[in-house]
Amino acid sequence: MATLPAFFRRTETPAGAEAPAVRLAAVPAERDPYLLRNLPHDDVIFWGKKIDNSHLVRQTDPRGGRPCWNVIATAGVILALLLGVLAPSVANRVAGYQLEALRVEAQNLADERRTLELQEAQLLSPARLQQLAQKQNLATPTPNQVSRLETKGESKVAMVKK
Amino acid sequence: MVERRLVCLAGFVLVWGAAIFGKLITLQVVDHQNYVRKARARQEQMVEIRAPRGVILDRMGHRLAMSVPTESVLVDPLKLPNLEVDADLLARELHLDRAELLERIQSAHDHHRGYLWVKRGITPQEADDLRNLKLDWIHLDGGSQRHYPNGMLLAHALGGVDFEEKGNAGIEKALDSDLRGAPGKADILRDVRGRGVDELVSTEAHAGAAITLTIDERLQFVAEREIAAAVEQHGAASGSVVVMNPYDGQILALASYPTYDPNQPPGDENDVAARSNHAVGVPFEPGSVFKVITLSAALETTKLKPDTPINCHGGVITLFGRTIHDSHGGNGWLPMDMVLAHSSNVGAIEIGLQVGREAMYDYVRRFGFGQKTGLPLPGESRGRLRPLTKWGSTSLASISMGQEVSVTTLQLARAAAVIANGGLLVKPRIILKEGEQTLPVEAPVRAIRADTAITMRQMMEGVVLVGTGKEARLQGYTTGGKTGSAQIYDYATRRYSHNTYNGSFMGMAPLTNPAVVVVVTLNGTHGTAGFGGAAAAPVFKAVATEALRILEVPKDLPDNQPPPKLVAKNQLLDDVSLADLGSGQPNILEDRDDEDASAQAPTPAANHAAAQPSEAGTVPNFKGMTLRAVLTEAWARGIVVQPDGSGVARVQNPAPGSALHQGERIRVQFTK
Repeated sequence: MATLPAFFRRTETPAGAEAPAVRLAAVPAERDPYLLRNLPHDDVIFWGKKIDNSHLVRQTDPRGGRPCWNVIATAGVILALLLGVLAPSVANRVAGYQLEALRVEAQNLADERRTLELQEAQLLSPARLQQLAQKQNLATPTPNQVSRLETKGESKVAMVKK
Repeated sequence: MVERRLVCLAGFVLVWGAAIFGKLITLQVVDHQNYVRKARARQEQMVEIRAPRGVILDRMGHRLAMSVPTESVLVDPLKLPNLEVDADLLARELHLDRAELLERIQSAHDHHRGYLWVKRGITPQEADDLRNLKLDWIHLDGGSQRHYPNGMLLAHALGGVDFEEKGNAGIEKALDSDLRGAPGKADILRDVRGRGVDELVSTEAHAGAAITLTIDERLQFVAEREIAAAVEQHGAASGSVVVMNPYDGQILALASYPTYDPNQPPGDENDVAARSNHAVGVPFEPGSVFKVITLSAALETTKLKPDTPINCHGGVITLFGRTIHDSHGGNGWLPMDMVLAHSSNVGAIEIGLQVGREAMYDYVRRFGFGQKTGLPLPGESRGRLRPLTKWGSTSLASISMGQEVSVTTLQLARAAAVIANGGLLVKPRIILKEGEQTLPVEAPVRAIRADTAITMRQMMEGVVLVGTGKEARLQGYTTGGKTGSAQIYDYATRRYSHNTYNGSFMGMAPLTNPAVVVVVTLNGTHGTAGFGGAAAAPVFKAVATEALRILEVPKDLPDNQPPPKLVAKNQLLDDVSLADLGSGQPNILEDRDDEDASAQAPTPAANHAAAQPSEAGTVPNFKGMTLRAVLTEAWARGIVVQPDGSGVARVQNPAPGSALHQGERIRVQFTK
């Protein structure tokens, strides 16, 4: 640890001179009463040392690959197991959301369909059709006046004989 | 020192872990059920799966009654911030009367009621408007509401439901268990945002079954339109129409007037009266239409034939000290078919006396009177037919002409079907299918012989051609029927009214192979215009014409037939001619439904003398004969004549002596 006293000492040291790490001798008994007491590890001094590792070459550990792959494989297996365990649950939950949404939609569509069927029935009520026919000056055909051009029940086209 | 600290730390961690583990045990094991219950209470919701009430369809698949989802508004009057302001708000949003709503809310508040239905069945727009208000004291309750898209159409047969959609009348009540279905239950798991995550259905919902009726919506509309117009035109109190397939008993139309809108809740007394199904539940004395049963019994139990002369006693007959007047001027001798055609009361009594009490009672029962038809409609009346032991001395005579017995329009239709289908008593049906299952048809019971039914058909055609039912004659179809104009018994005065009638007509067409039976009844008509031939027969004509068109029944007569005209002495009198000609005293056996034809009654001898003998299978020669003689001769031979003009027969087609094909009609031109 670089302490404040050590810092001052190092700054007072001439440049280029590397101060050896020395443990200072004990302070004499007669001390200046105003002198601050030493701080812990005040006698430890650190200095920087330049190391040139540019010539170092990374070497593959021939025995280090296996544990690595083992770890990767183990992690993969664990991950797969976790996914295998959790995925159905997640999928189930997602499907549950979708299913509920679809059920609600289906119910709403069924309700809407019934409402539309009611409106259709009201629009096709005989009383309303008669009113419309009267507005259009349409008359009820006489018996056998209408000839179906196709089989009864399938016929969409009919002809009124004059 | 360091070791001690490590030991302390380890101990602390151990205790901490033990505490956590203990808590986990508590949560997961000790209080497991408790927390599960709490979690479920928050996350799970038991909801009811709606089972919509079944739809009611007509025979063509048109919807007559159906349920649609709706919402109702509910408030808690005790939590309303300001009754007047809130009532004003609700009244504006729901289009209600503010004062009335405020009164209801105030009343509920004063009675400390925690809920009040403000409005049921609100529109989607109203529901959205209320939701947008975001007021916590307004609650919207989802439900279902019954709708009858055609309004009043078939109201009496359909019936109605209460606010819980439980049937309370008509088919809605009779088939309530089938229509209602069974709602299901589901347990829905919701997330923290209230979204459904999963659903566990505990009970499946079963929707109500669709009920398909035998009713034809178009024909029903015509029947209701015509009977309503007739009731209004003739000032009647009520009316009813039944259109039935005579072979399988399918009811194609069942109209009753006055009517009501089943979409509206019951109202005042008038509305309650309008809810009576007159076609099924209100019996009446049928009058002369009942002579069909009398003559059918006579054909089977006596030696009487259509041309057998019947002594009408000049229109007066005395039975057990009671003098019974024929309503008209009095007939002398009439062939039995003319008794029916001219609706002679005395003639019918004479015939009934020959039938006898036991046979008459038997045949009345055979035609289905005095018993319910079995139609699945609540409130069906069995009519009134007293047991034989309770018949009085004049009961046979009365019943012979349609009094002392009460019937419903539906029963008359059933009886007419016996004549139309060749003598079989069918059970009327109004339910065609329940769901996808077609209901089986019950085997009919033979009531009369087939030849008797055919003979009656021919005699009933005479009613339409030359009798009291001319107004019922159809264009392009052979028609048979019988009119009835029964006086109404006033229980207050214990006398028959002299001015109000039950005018009725029962008929069928085409006679060669009847496709429909139509019975029309007008109750409480007034005056001469209210007789069956004048009031009910035109309704029959309109309804039968429409029925034959809808059913696409081929015509069996050429179009544009001129109306038959009778020779001068045989001119028909209206039912009006049944004026008070008697003593003026109340006469329970008097039926003003006849016409004066007594003076023209030819004797059987004269008839046979006038007819030219012809070989079997060839067309007889009618030239020079009167219409009555021609008809008598034709009926005796079982051939059908189409008269045209008045006077004596001059031209006929096919020519005399030519081959007569089965079912062929002979057109005879009469000129003076």
